[in-house]
Amino acid sequence: MRCLTELAMNEEALVHSVGGPHLRARRIMSLGLSPGARVRMVRRAPLGDPLEFDVSGCLLMLRSEEAAGIVVEG
Amino acid sequence: MACLADPASADLRFVAVGNPNTGKTTLVNALSGSCLRIGNWPGTTVERVETCFPVGDRHACLVDLPGAYSLAAGTAEERLTRDELLAARPDAVVDVVDASNLERNLYLTLELAELGYPLVVALNLLDEARARGLDLRLEVLEERLGVPVVATVAVREQGMEGLVAAALQARPATLRLDYPESIENAVARLEPLIQHPSRRWMALAALSGEPIALDEPASRLLETLKVELVSLGVDPFLGIVGTRYQAAREIAASVQATRPGVHRLTETLDRWFLHPWLGIPLFLVGMLLVFRFTFQFSDPWVGWLGQVQEVLGGWIAALPLPGLLASFLADGLVGGIGTVLAFTPVLFFLFLALSFLEASGFLARSAFLVDRLMKAMGLPGRAFIPMILGFGCNVPAISATRTMESFSDRLRVAMAVPFAACSARLAVFTLFTSVFFPQHAAVVVFSLYLLGLLVGMLTALALGRLTPPSQAGSAMELPPYRIPTWKVVWRQASARTWSFVEGVGGAILVSVAAVWVLLNLPPGDISQSFYARLSMGLAWLLGPLEIHDWRLAGALLPGFVAKEVVIGTLGVSYLQADPVAPMGLVEGLHEITSGLAGALWATLQAFPALLGLPGIHLPPPEAPEGLPAALSQSMTRSGALAYLVFVLLYTPCVGTLMALRLEFGRRWAALSAVYQLLVAYALAFLAARLPL
Repeated sequence: MRCLTELAMNEEALVHSVGGPHLRARRIMSLGLSPGARVRMVRRAPLGDPLEFDVSGCLLMLRSEEAAGIVVEG
Repeated sequence: MACLADPASADLRFVAVGNPNTGKTTLVNALSGSCLRIGNWPGTTVERVETCFPVGDRHACLVDLPGAYSLAAGTAEERLTRDELLAARPDAVVDVVDASNLERNLYLTLELAELGYPLVVALNLLDEARARGLDLRLEVLEERLGVPVVATVAVREQGMEGLVAAALQARPATLRLDYPESIENAVARLEPLIQHPSRRWMALAALSGEPIALDEPASRLLETLKVELVSLGVDPFLGIVGTRYQAAREIAASVQATRPGVHRLTETLDRWFLHPWLGIPLFLVGMLLVFRFTFQFSDPWVGWLGQVQEVLGGWIAALPLPGLLASFLADGLVGGIGTVLAFTPVLFFLFLALSFLEASGFLARSAFLVDRLMKAMGLPGRAFIPMILGFGCNVPAISATRTMESFSDRLRVAMAVPFAACSARLAVFTLFTSVFFPQHAAVVVFSLYLLGLLVGMLTALALGRLTPPSQAGSAMELPPYRIPTWKVVWRQASARTWSFVEGVGGAILVSVAAVWVLLNLPPGDISQSFYARLSMGLAWLLGPLEIHDWRLAGALLPGFVAKEVVIGTLGVSYLQADPVAPMGLVEGLHEITSGLAGALWATLQAFPALLGLPGIHLPPPEAPEGLPAALSQSMTRSGALAYLVFVLLYTPCVGTLMALRLEFGRRWAALSAVYQLLVAYALAFLAARLPL
């Protein structure tokens, strides 16, 4: 188990759980990052933050503090 | 095709629901012909799009509900969509689903199915899905959901007739999700106490912790049920949401043979536009292009409208009318309409650029690139574009705050935007700096821009301390790049421009008429007018800012109409108005048509000019002859600097104030006016004391 920010570039993993405040977690899940979803790290923004992820072909951006609350496995 | 005048008289009410970026707006456009109407949802800053069209011998109205990922009210848009769906049963819900993103889109579809309304699924962007190698079995989806599924390609207006036909016959979905037993039991007990056609969905939402208004016995039972579930070790939120996600994933997998990959074009373009080193420079070049586009294309039309106004003035002067009436018609009425119209080319082209950025996917990229900078101010990356647009014109910048999701972020940016030195203020800056600081004009003007930016940023920061921050976080989708259809972008820009003219035109007309009354009554010399008397009082107030001449102080009043009007008024009060030369009908018509041809030609010429290197020179000041000399007699350099700082910061123009009122209500607009007046006075007071 690791958090999403620990993925290497282009590495894939399976979402285990989404943490953080309730509203924020719900929002992240509604964007497709729900437990059981496959996620791939795509890139970091030029200024270091936020991060971009690929969730079944859909691209999402998350600030690192938000991504840190998401636990992945595999 | 005639547009239906009153949507309330329609026989059929359809609503379009869907995730953001599914091409929902394009689809509504494709259905609507040209009857699109853009406004605000009452009391909110969320754009409301509605269209009515004939279906056989009946009339259908389609409301485009704001984009939502689910019916849980996470954002203002989602709350609106949910409330609107619960308020009245529509004749059909048209669920617009992105075919290349089934898994996520189906979550909302499942919720819509649970509402129990007649439902039809528009499987949109099918061409894009196929290009990504996806093979979709529509009949499987139809069978699983138990509702008609219509394949559409909205950009090419394909599948629209089939969609309307399906909507007319729509039935509630037959699909019923099975939740864990403990939750099903709770729903079965709660449901009978809810009086609403969508009571199953409402019971589920209430159990998962959504703020659903229930009456007394139901909410008492809800509390008991929640306690019981927790004692069984069941988290109702995770149980309900989890079941839906699982079902969505499972249905998606049964419909598509392969898993979707990333959009090929998007991958390639992002490699350049989000490049670690090239990303930011490319973005800055893009912003420069947006500005050039707006101003090089709108300038000829602003000029032409000014010409038409002059011709109309000339015609009025040629009529046998008493002087005062002719002056009112020419300056008050025609001048007022001219002021409103002078806004429209700039607004239209800025809205055109904004619609393009939004629909193409570039707006989301810009947020990704500058998010870090905005985070320092406690704002989301999306705040950047509205703040930058403010340097063109504050009015569309305030409308552009709609692209942000949280109300408090929108408000903070909108309160900061009017401090951005718009192009109207630049006209005042160039005149005064050429008179008082001829050696350092560029430095002074640049410092003023910086000062505006700084005060705006501090305002946004300070407001952030006062308003609660958004809880939803800043996670968002980076939609695939799409080439927007010219028609959609054009229609959206014209509908937004029109909504400005409708909403703000009246207020501008009234203020221009009020300024005319001040300047011209009682008739005679301007130094005896109401304006002069009022201005003398104002000059006393502005004394501490080293602004003593009543004519200078007074010009700030009409500056409220539009800031460049300051110059015209200074011209009139220092040099007396030039009597308008009467003009013949033929001569005037000739001038209007040759002006029109000139504007068209200048617009064509603007295409190559878009690509030139940026020049760092100020435009030459435009002022009536003799005004610079008169000005240099009437104030010191310290006073001039204070005057410029005051013009930069004081009360936003009436268009901006009305835009604030439309978006945030009367109170925030009034607060903004007072706040800016105080900030302007304080900083101009300091500026007057700078050792020059």
